[in-house]
Formats: sequence, structure tokens, C-alpha cells
Amino acid sequence: MRSASDPPLPHPELLAAIPRLRRYARVLTGDANRADDLVQDTLARAWEKRRLWAAGSDLRAWLFTIMHNVFVNQRALARRDQMQVSLDAGGEGSEAWQIPVRAAQYTRVELAELVQHVRRLPVDQREVLLLAAVEELRYEEIAVALSIPIGTVMSRLSRARAKLRLAFADGTTSPSGLKVVK
Amino acid sequence: MNVLPVTDADLNAYVDGQLAESRLAAVEEALVRDPSLAARVAQAKGHNAALHDALDPWLAESIPERLITAATGPAHGARRKSRRWLAPAFAAAAMLVVGLGVGWFARDVDLERAGTPTTFTRQAALTHVLYASDVNRPVEVWAAEEKRLVTWLSKRLGFAVNAPDLNSTGYALVGGRLVAGHQNPTALFMYENADKQRLSLQVRKQWVDGGEVAFRYAVENGIGVFYWIEDNCSYALSGNLDRAQLLAVGRVVYGQLAALESAQRK
Repeated sequence: MRSASDPPLPHPELLAAIPRLRRYARVLTGDANRADDLVQDTLARAWEKRRLWAAGSDLRAWLFTIMHNVFVNQRALARRDQMQVSLDAGGEGSEAWQIPVRAAQYTRVELAELVQHVRRLPVDQREVLLLAAVEELRYEEIAVALSIPIGTVMSRLSRARAKLRLAFADGTTSPSGLKVVK
Repeated sequence: MNVLPVTDADLNAYVDGQLAESRLAAVEEALVRDPSLAARVAQAKGHNAALHDALDPWLAESIPERLITAATGPAHGARRKSRRWLAPAFAAAAMLVVGLGVGWFARDVDLERAGTPTTFTRQAALTHVLYASDVNRPVEVWAAEEKRLVTWLSKRLGFAVNAPDLNSTGYALVGGRLVAGHQNPTALFMYENADKQRLSLQVRKQWVDGGEVAFRYAVENGIGVFYWIEDNCSYALSGNLDRAQLLAVGRVVYGQLAALESAQRK
């Protein structure tokens, strides 16, 4: 029989969440290996904290919450160790950025450029933009995941998009395709 | 103006498809009035789509072993490490205890970890690629002999199978064949649309009572696979389609099989 101590986390859902966690982690960290470390830590943490997950609630949103916390803690530690460089800059030529484009509308170069611009956003804005635009979380879910008021979600999103707009209004480097597509 | 002016937050919500309906008219009116606003929104939407184009392919990558272990929990992982040879036994025991859908997916993982080369989805994807890429002989029996095909496959599988009619989705039956399954033989029906894109539906008997499972989706080597279990049969629909398209076809298949079954019961 299932004992009372059995973990409530559903394996299939956890397994199914991995690809999206990895995708998000890669843009967050900018490095494929570090991203998988982050996913692994997130899953381990999810198991430790499994009793805090309200069965039936959205597991994925909860995992993003955990990943955010793990990521923030790691950054804080890294900063203490004077290693913040590795988390926030560089890595642009690393494996994570070999974008495997399937792209119908954009060239590989255009997409890579967009991703680079997203990468250069401050991490607060990067998180919100990715969760909204790529992970398609509701703004309310993002607020919960990042432990910030919804107004802050909206203002970070605004600032992130303003920066991208500026980056592409910058003339020469602007991939025209990205501007007009509806 | 009697309505609240359109804000940045409105525009972002519009871009992300999260705008409250009550604001929709105001925003759309503003977009018509102000082309620069419209351009801004179009650009942001373009960025959303482009980010998906750039990042979605990562979703199809195979998952490293260490993450699968992490997802199956600390106790589970440790036990497996020390007694790897027992893994299939644990998997079987887990099936008996937990039963039903939850165990099914986990079982695939267990089988795979125990060194069994295929999961149903992986096998379905590989089989699909093998035969769909065969221009001249994708099937053993062509659609012209559909009746003979269905009779033959039903006989070999030991239960009645049917080739769903997918013409409404633009896919016509090419034919079918029998393929070797891990435990039981599998029936494969191949379909093709006007662009010569091929889809295959694979059906086989479950080798353990896996209960019923809702639609699940997996990507194996770039091939999308929708699979589900119904009445002790596993179904896998595979093709180089995106999730939404494949799901749409999957629903048609599912609907037809369900209708057929209820007709047979009467």
C-alpha cells in the first residue's frame, strides 16, 4: 500500500516539466551546464519542500518559484565569492547559445541577436520577460513566483520591452524582420 | 475621453494575450488611432514569437540522466543506484501498488534506465521515421485494400483495430503494416497530406493493465508523439508536426475510436 510518507510529487509531471525548466534556466544563466545544475538543484529542492506543494495546484509555476529562489541564492553566494561575473556576463559563445533554430520567419543571426539582447537585460527584467513571453505564465503567477507585487511585474516588463525596442531602433544592427512581423 | 487612457501595462497585457476583456476595445481603438503604438505592439509580438522560435527547439533535446534521477526523488534515485538489477522489479512493484496512469510514464523511465532500449514513444518515433521516410514502400498493404489491411492486422494483434478516417484534417490513409513491438506486435497506419507530410498511428495491446491515460505529448528526436491508453491499448500518433497540429489530429483519432467503440457496444 501507499504509505503516508509517500511523496506527493507526481513523477510524470515533474519529468514533463524538465524541458521547460531547462529552457528557462539556459537563458537565465547563459550556459547549458550551469542551467542543468540549476534545474537539478531545483528538482532536489522541490523534493525537499514537497510538502509545501499544494497538490492540484500548478506544479510548473511552483517549480519556477523554487528555481527563482535557488538562482537568487546562488547569485548571492557567488557575489560573496566575488564571482558574479560568471553568472551575469560572458558565456555568449558558450554551448547554450548555439541556437538550434527551426525558424520560418527569422534567420539564425536575427534570432541570436534578439536572444543576446534579452541576455543583456538586467536579471530582474530578464526573468519577467521570459516568464511572460516564453513560459506564458499569467502575470499573477509571475508575481507569486518572483515574490514581487504585480505592479513590479508590469513595470519590469515595460522596462524590458523598452530596452529591446531601443536595441532594435538602433539602426544598423536591427534585423528588419523582427520589426514588422505581426 | 470617458475611458481610462491606455497604459504601458495595457499594451504589454495585449501583447501577451492577458488583457482583460473590458480593456480590449480601448486598446484596439488606440492602436488604430496611433500607428506608432501599433508598430510597438507588433514589434513586441514579433519578439515573443521570435523568442519561441529561438528557444523552443531546446525543448526537444534529450534529458540528461542526472535530471531524470533528480526528478524521481532522492530516495528513489539512491535505491536504484545500489541495486540497479532490481530496477525492473521495483518498476513492476510500483505498477502494482500505484497502478493507473501515474505509474505508466514512470515505468517507461524505469524500463529505459534498466537498459531496455525503448519506450513506447521513442519506439513509435523511430518506427515512424523508418517507414515514413521510405518513399516507395512505407507500408505493406496499401489503402486500396483497406479492408484486407484491417482484417489482417486485427488478426495478428488479436483484437479489432481500425484505421481512422483523417481526411477532415487533410491526411489520407496510405496503408499500414505490422511492426515488432517490445512486448506485443504493433499495427501501424500511415497517412499523408497534400504536401507529402506523413503521420503514423501506432496501436498495440498494453502488456500490463495500465489503466487509462490522458493525452500525453513527447518529442523524440524532433518527432512529435501524442500517446494515450484506452481500453488496454496504447496509441501513438507521430509526425513532424508541432504540438497544436498533432493534438488536433489526435483528437480526431480519439473521437473516432471512441465513437466506434460505443457503436460496437450497442
